[in-house]
Amino acid sequence: MEEKVEKLLSELAERVGQPVRQGLAEDIKSLIPSRIIPHTMDTINIIIDLRVNKWAAAAAIVITLILLTSLLGGAGSAGDNIYRDGELLMKYVFGWDGASKSEMLAVKSKYECLIQEGIEAVYFGDKADLNDADAVLLQWKLPDGRYEVILGDLHRETVTAEELIKLQVQMLQNRISR
Amino acid sequence: MMEKREKATEQRVESAHLKKEAADLRGSEDRSAEREYSVAIRLRRGERAAAQELVDMYYERIYSFMRGVGHGQQISEDLTQETFLKAWAHIGQLRNGRALGGWLYRIAGNVSRVYWRKQKNRKFASMERIEKAANGETEPEKVGHYEELVRLQEAIAQLPWKLRNAIVLHYMQHLTIVEAAEAAGVREGTFKSRLNRALQILRKQVS
Repeated sequence: MEEKVEKLLSELAERVGQPVRQGLAEDIKSLIPSRIIPHTMDTINIIIDLRVNKWAAAAAIVITLILLTSLLGGAGSAGDNIYRDGELLMKYVFGWDGASKSEMLAVKSKYECLIQEGIEAVYFGDKADLNDADAVLLQWKLPDGRYEVILGDLHRETVTAEELIKLQVQMLQNRISR
Repeated sequence: MMEKREKATEQRVESAHLKKEAADLRGSEDRSAEREYSVAIRLRRGERAAAQELVDMYYERIYSFMRGVGHGQQISEDLTQETFLKAWAHIGQLRNGRALGGWLYRIAGNVSRVYWRKQKNRKFASMERIEKAANGETEPEKVGHYEELVRLQEAIAQLPWKLRNAIVLHYMQHLTIVEAAEAAGVREGTFKSRLNRALQILRKQVS
């Protein structure tokens, strides 16, 4: 019977037509960032590769965050990497279901890094609705005039000033409607 | 005597032909692995052209994976895009350039899982309609067989995420056990056990 199921699965794979929309590849290519910067610190990867218990992994990353932030003073790209590792780990360990206090810690440490670097950043984390995936948690201006934002689902995006305003308006509307 | 000689010649020709086909296949696999390695190295150096090449190599497979695990057409497109965005953002984490495919499937799997978790009312989009085969089966046989395939398709959609992922990677994406285990981010033994559990469930559903 097992062989039969395997045979049926192979047939199913052949018969199920999944045509890809023409133009999808071009749409994806249009999203390629102008600069691809390899992210070199591999805390999260090491933890995933070790396949340790998820709570142990969570404890490890929180300790790493605290130690590295205090040791390095959150300077430069190291702080950025710590934030990214924290973000990835939270997704790996917990999936995503709204930002929690631990995730906000990672965003706040990013904010503090930016401030120490002299970058004008605005942190909305204390007031933001943690269940709103589109809420702006942190924003800062880039040299080219656009803004980098971290949203409620920890998704990071580069937006124009107009887009940022729309996001903020949306965030306010969401807060009002709740 | 003459017949024997002709048969021996035929066998030699056939054997040479098979050897050539096998060598061609190995050659094409080697070339594909070399290409993947080169793309991974160039991506790690931050080359934009390599990112474009990565899209050309994998966008269809990732889209098909998303459809396979039960996402609708539009969501599958969005999640395919997100998979590539994450790949570019975290290319520094790809330590073994030769495992580019597995790494990308792993990201796709995580992107898909995060999406399912965000959905309060999980609703599986049905896969594409199964096309009826026009072979020599008689009408009642065809109908019975077709129904089995539909039942199997529905049973896959109802599997827990990890088991569904295993089935899709191995049977729908045609990855080997080693590649699929890498793509699922688990050890080979764990992957085999997931596959077995999934097959057991499917067997019950189909029978």
